[in-house]
Amino acid sequence: MKKLLLVVFIFAATIFMGQQITVIGPWSGAEKDAFTPVLEKFEEQTGIKVQYQIYRAEDLANLLPAQFSTKRTPGDVIFMWTSFMKSNPEHIVNLSDLIKPENFRPGALDNVTVDGEIIGIPYTGKVKPGFWYRKSFFEEHSLTEPETWDEFVALLEEISGIEGITAPIASGNGVGWPLSDVTEHFILTYGGAELQKDLIAGNVNWTGETAKKPMNKLASLLSEGYFGEPVEWTTVLEQWWQGQYGLYFMGQWLTGMVDDPSDLGVLALPGNEAVVFALDYAFIPKYSKNVDAAKQLIEFLAGPEGQTAQVEQGGHIASANGVSLDAYPPVDKEIAELLEGKATVNDLDDSIGGMWQATFWDQLKLLWVRPGRLDSVLESLQSNMP
Amino acid sequence: MELRKAHIRNFVVFVLPALFLLAVFVLYPTFSTLFMSFVGPEGELTLQNYQSVFASGDIINFKNIQQGQFPFGTLVHNALWIAIHLPLTTFLGLFLAALLRDVKGGAIIKSVIFLGMVMPLVVGGIMIRFMFDGNIGIVNLFLKTFGFPTQTWTAYPETSLLALIFGSVWLWTGFSMIIYSAGLETIPKTYYEAAEIDGASKLRIFFSITIPMLKPITVVVVTMTLLWELKIFDIVYVATMGGPGGSSNVLALQMYLYGFRAWDFSKAAVVAVLITGLTIFAAIPLIRSAGEENVQ
Repeated sequence: MKKLLLVVFIFAATIFMGQQITVIGPWSGAEKDAFTPVLEKFEEQTGIKVQYQIYRAEDLANLLPAQFSTKRTPGDVIFMWTSFMKSNPEHIVNLSDLIKPENFRPGALDNVTVDGEIIGIPYTGKVKPGFWYRKSFFEEHSLTEPETWDEFVALLEEISGIEGITAPIASGNGVGWPLSDVTEHFILTYGGAELQKDLIAGNVNWTGETAKKPMNKLASLLSEGYFGEPVEWTTVLEQWWQGQYGLYFMGQWLTGMVDDPSDLGVLALPGNEAVVFALDYAFIPKYSKNVDAAKQLIEFLAGPEGQTAQVEQGGHIASANGVSLDAYPPVDKEIAELLEGKATVNDLDDSIGGMWQATFWDQLKLLWVRPGRLDSVLESLQSNMP
Repeated sequence: MELRKAHIRNFVVFVLPALFLLAVFVLYPTFSTLFMSFVGPEGELTLQNYQSVFASGDIINFKNIQQGQFPFGTLVHNALWIAIHLPLTTFLGLFLAALLRDVKGGAIIKSVIFLGMVMPLVVGGIMIRFMFDGNIGIVNLFLKTFGFPTQTWTAYPETSLLALIFGSVWLWTGFSMIIYSAGLETIPKTYYEAAEIDGASKLRIFFSITIPMLKPITVVVVTMTLLWELKIFDIVYVATMGGPGGSSNVLALQMYLYGFRAWDFSKAAVVAVLITGLTIFAAIPLIRSAGEENVQ
């Protein structure tokens, strides 16, 4: 009887103690630690308890369709691919009355707008500015940043001649996204921001000359052996840092993964005028039992206050207007300033998503080791376009 | 009359619940999947899903087969898996079971070999990825010792599938070894004693007594291994995700990709039907063997 009373008490206490919502996101480890202060700030302000659960987008892609089909949801606010949101608007709460496009960077809401309705929020994002290098490595070997394509190739040639170098450019592997980030940088540099937007919209054929031009540039470097064999991206990061590679293409989160961020330099491909600004997006499922509380959190995360709390942790750039540059740590501040002069575009494969994304990653793995098969890679990308 | 009533009562109490569960959890999903494979985008019944899946080259890629370059298609990859993995694990398991039968400490060695079988396949897949890694892989360490060239074997289209197949041999050999070990214990010692008295060599004894006596065990090992190879998913998903360029992709992973990447459950159902058909076909020897035992 005592046990029964205890259970009833705990149950009642849970109900009356206050509202609790569940947020699902992909971040673990250091990234989760950087997100926690944001949630804590929200809890302080509203008194709503937030429980954070880690699910990768790949896992959510398996889980959510089944949950939604039974009108259930594992979370009240879910960070997920925009391609998934766009395919499932009927399961998502319309946020048009809450979110206004003028409060964000231009284009930030494009990926979450379906038939004029806003179904998700852009949170903070990460920029993929170019090839990172160690300033000390460049100084030691008297290397300089290239101004032209020929100088870039000459730099790679110079690096490959350095003793102990495995390859001039490290290739990060894993699911496949590190290779796609490099590829997008080539598309943006030699095809422009418009080409990337057209590829996302399906207006340009992958096998056409326009898309082939940047891919040929990339394939030419691969054929010359300037890129190393794809190695798990955190492993190759260590090897690059220790001097086995000269350059490593990675997003700005790399600044939080090295021992001495002040030794970092970054160079874009000569002529580059656009960068990928990969935003994280979140939505509220219709089946949430705490839609009002979830809306409060969504509003907080999408606003300058929530995003300031996030960028202060480092490694993030705000999508919302009104976040002061002073909120950024020095390295991120430089990147945030760098964004001012460049066009920003959405991540190519995240925007298209679905089967195509998996195909893109997989075909790039093939291209990396067999650049001579570029035509079949492009055919495969085209045939898998949604 | 009483006996008849007892039969009916036993049927209702013991058989009916099992039949009900089978109908709900096996038959209904099976037929539902079969039906779904014929449902088109507008909800109409059509063969379009089958045409689309088979024409895509995901199942059999005739163009690449002609050119002799991977990927050959998931069905061919599964077939290659069977062609290489099945004989290797079966013979290796039999060999180890026979070798370690009367060896002192054999049980410990068998336990170590069986660890591969106990290990979750997801962990096995990660281990395979590291085994064949260019920098830290044990396979490359071995090759380097003998002066052979090294590379990340799972990164190249020509070697990724083979790396997975050979890597998975150690994961599955423990199964066949344990089953064969149990089978060896059932062969009466007197057979061996009689053969030895008649002057038969060890090899002759092995081929004339051990192998024929293990025939029912071999049916079990071959069938179970075949089913495992047809349904293989975890290792491929974790180690290569079917890549590069689909060169190590298999049927079950392709089904997953259709279902949970393309969100096209009808196409996924087509592959599921194909896998189900193949596994039923593969299970026939086992079912027949069980039937023969019942008759005896």
